[in-house]
Amino acid sequence: MKKRPPSSVTGVRQRSAPAEPDANSSEARRLQWLAEALLIVGLLGLQPSLMLSWVAISLTVLAGLKLLEAKRLADRRLVGLLQLVCAGVLGALQSDLGPSLLQGVAVFLALAGLLALEAGQGPDWRLLLRRSLQVLVGALPVALALFVLMPRLAPFAPLSDLGRGGARMGLSENLAPGNIARLSANREPAARVSFAAGQPLDADDRYWRVLVHDRFDGGSWLTSPTLPPTGAGAARAPAETGSPLAQQLWVAEASGLEAVPWDGSALPLGRELRINGRGELLHGGRSSQRRLYGLRSRQGKGDGWRRIPPQANDQMLPSGTNPQLEALGGSWRAAGPPAARLAMAETWFRSRPFRYTRSPGTLPAIAPLDAFLFARQEGFCGHYASAFSALMRAAGVPARVVSGYQGGTWVQPLGGPGYLDLRQDNAHAWSEVWIEAEGWRRVDPTSWIAPARGGGLRAAPAGGAVGWLQRQWWALDLAWGRWWLGFDREGQEALLQRLLGDRRNLVGLLVLTAVTVGLGVSVTVLGWLRKRPEGDPPGLELERALAALARQGLVPEAGETLRGFSARLERSEPKLGSLLQAMAEPYQLWRYGAGVRPPQEARRLSASLRRHRLGLERALRRRLQRRPTA
Amino acid sequence: MNFGKTQQGETLSLGMRNLYIVPSRFGLLWLAGIGLLQVVAIQLESNGPLLLSFLMLGLFLLTLHLTHFNLEGLEVRCGTPAAGFAGDTLAYPLRLRCRGRCEGLRLRLGSGEPDQARSLAPGEHLLTLPWMPPERGRLRPGKLRLLTTAPLGLFVCWSRWDPPVPQLVIPAPRRGPVGRAPAHADPQKGAGTSSLGDKEGDLWHDLQPHRPEDGAGRLAWKLLAQGRGAYAKRFVAPLAEAPLLTPAAGIPLERALEHLSAAILRLHGEGVRYGLVLGAATIPPSRGPGHRDRCLEALALAPRSL
Repeated sequence: MKKRPPSSVTGVRQRSAPAEPDANSSEARRLQWLAEALLIVGLLGLQPSLMLSWVAISLTVLAGLKLLEAKRLADRRLVGLLQLVCAGVLGALQSDLGPSLLQGVAVFLALAGLLALEAGQGPDWRLLLRRSLQVLVGALPVALALFVLMPRLAPFAPLSDLGRGGARMGLSENLAPGNIARLSANREPAARVSFAAGQPLDADDRYWRVLVHDRFDGGSWLTSPTLPPTGAGAARAPAETGSPLAQQLWVAEASGLEAVPWDGSALPLGRELRINGRGELLHGGRSSQRRLYGLRSRQGKGDGWRRIPPQANDQMLPSGTNPQLEALGGSWRAAGPPAARLAMAETWFRSRPFRYTRSPGTLPAIAPLDAFLFARQEGFCGHYASAFSALMRAAGVPARVVSGYQGGTWVQPLGGPGYLDLRQDNAHAWSEVWIEAEGWRRVDPTSWIAPARGGGLRAAPAGGAVGWLQRQWWALDLAWGRWWLGFDREGQEALLQRLLGDRRNLVGLLVLTAVTVGLGVSVTVLGWLRKRPEGDPPGLELERALAALARQGLVPEAGETLRGFSARLERSEPKLGSLLQAMAEPYQLWRYGAGVRPPQEARRLSASLRRHRLGLERALRRRLQRRPTA
Repeated sequence: MNFGKTQQGETLSLGMRNLYIVPSRFGLLWLAGIGLLQVVAIQLESNGPLLLSFLMLGLFLLTLHLTHFNLEGLEVRCGTPAAGFAGDTLAYPLRLRCRGRCEGLRLRLGSGEPDQARSLAPGEHLLTLPWMPPERGRLRPGKLRLLTTAPLGLFVCWSRWDPPVPQLVIPAPRRGPVGRAPAHADPQKGAGTSSLGDKEGDLWHDLQPHRPEDGAGRLAWKLLAQGRGAYAKRFVAPLAEAPLLTPAAGIPLERALEHLSAAILRLHGEGVRYGLVLGAATIPPSRGPGHRDRCLEALALAPRSL
């Protein structure tokens, strides 16, 4: 054994490593804090009224506190896992494009943090992020195969238990004149709809109904809690769900209401959609979340509700609450059929000095509609619709108030189809009266008073660069919603149906095959990537050349320099020696020369060395062929 | 993880037959996290947590292979261990040859502390691992455990090997009385030098590179100030004969050997000639690093009773 001076003699003493040195990896710490910060930003958009929001908040706080105190590797790993679960819960609460991007970045950072914890002090930032991306992309084929093909289970418990309470949209089940005045100044998004043909609808069809208020208590209009019995027209969506043939694709913002906007005549697509007897479109999904649904325009299929006869609620008028109104309506009873009474009401409204205003002030608590009709004579859609409906009931014509949206802003993005953007200030209220021959007829008394009020389809306002950018973002958001929220259980059913047809029993085999192939491809590619030699490209070329020489037994002697080796080789094998010399000289000049080495120089040198290396390999092959005959 | 068959042989070549891999505790927790996200996704019919849970499942399946890849194809051989003192933490050298990138490798020798995780590029690497020998002699450091949990800590992959090359462990130097064998005339000079003295009046001998244990008192300040490096001044006192060291009588042998170890280092530092007598074995007086190492090796390998 060759002896060396003992370690203490040379002054070198080894120190034992601390127990968990990796937990202090600064890269990991920074990455985890960054992920934590993104999750905290994600929390800002949550609705505190939801139980699940508090789960997400608790998980984030827990991860933050753990990160503060964590010293051991196991604790830091736990932080990473908590962050991932938290990002998942946030994903369930917020699925818009912006929050989804944020959650995606947080997931990536949490994974990179876990990777940094394990890799130790070796790798630098670039290597670490590249490796994180490799691992993430490597896991994606399996994840996507499972996501697309794995049959999804139905929820364990009714959705409504978790979804209630998150009212955001401005419409309310209780419509008292004055409610919608506040809405009119609100520019928050309510819903967006795109049409398959890309065209805006006719002016008559721009009424997007949401709620039907059929109960009148003398002052306000309410929605009956018990639905009228669904008749022949109350359509439940057919099974052809998730069909790409949807002609109207809606994205409705969270509202807290089960009812979502629709045009009142299209056929709903999707099992979660249902039209009730009042003509409300009910969505089974969580009302605290954005909902996406498709409708198909097919005349006469979705508007069966129009022919459902009025119920007792639709005719009820509490007597004595608005005496003047009752007297006026009563005077029209003898005027003839309901259509004639309707015409009399229109004439009456048009002949009085009514004025449309968004700030009419509050009405008295006693006989409010009398005060509006006969004294103030100014108000907005809520006033007109409720007063007109009450007058019609007084005149013996079943009537009710409908609230929803009217008009909208047509947005044509840079790419993709245009869409109609509905904001809270598009909120509107109108009436429906029962005409025996035709069913429920829509009447908008506000249009008699203020024909220009929101009736037209507005083009996208200019709004400057910010407004333009915002509209482009909405378009992207809509496309994301269509793509991301659209792939639900029904969408998957339709896909499996297309892929397998009647052989649905093969779905297990399909999932297994897809996962195996995905995993196999990832493992092969990552295995190849890890074996790739590392170092500067010119140096790798030189190493390949030396390895090719070594395969034929031409190796440097112990202690021999590269230059010495090539000179020795030149003496015995002039061709090979000169080729190696041509590689060694410029490489050593580049590698050990003074000054900064620009990257393009490395690329040039690498290409030149590659040419020489290929020449060397050709010469070696010729040498091998010559040898047996020599 | 510290179970499994310990591999033997000059070289350890890691592959399917000698690598163990099981999910770590964190891996099991990870699966619980996947389950939780699945429940959220199914209950709320939400795509976000569903995709994330499948992504985590994909990562779990993928890292099973990636963790195995880290050690697969790794070749480990012993380096040439330098001699060291008992009671010190010694450095045991290992040569590793990685076929591909090896991430998060943790090595542990014997019952020592686990080494810091390190990532190794493809190619040859020379690593040194700390271990604490319990006594003197030519000792093997114990079982080597190679372990990795990279890239995500979901699986633990490990193997165990018994490195065959022993390391020379010299008795720890300890100041104390040493015995002198009967006087031995220096065959070269007739008179040697010994008995290091730092005091004024001692004979100045020469300069040698300064070591921390020399202290500031012997530093050649003038040379240092001239920027010619840190040197220590050496002083010797003339002595007629080279000492022939032997274990002091009346104290336990192991303690006596420790005293001898300290004395040899001191005499070597002084640059004087000295010899060693251990029972029947005698090393004649000489000096220089080779002589010192020969004497220290004789101490390390001395029989338990003389």
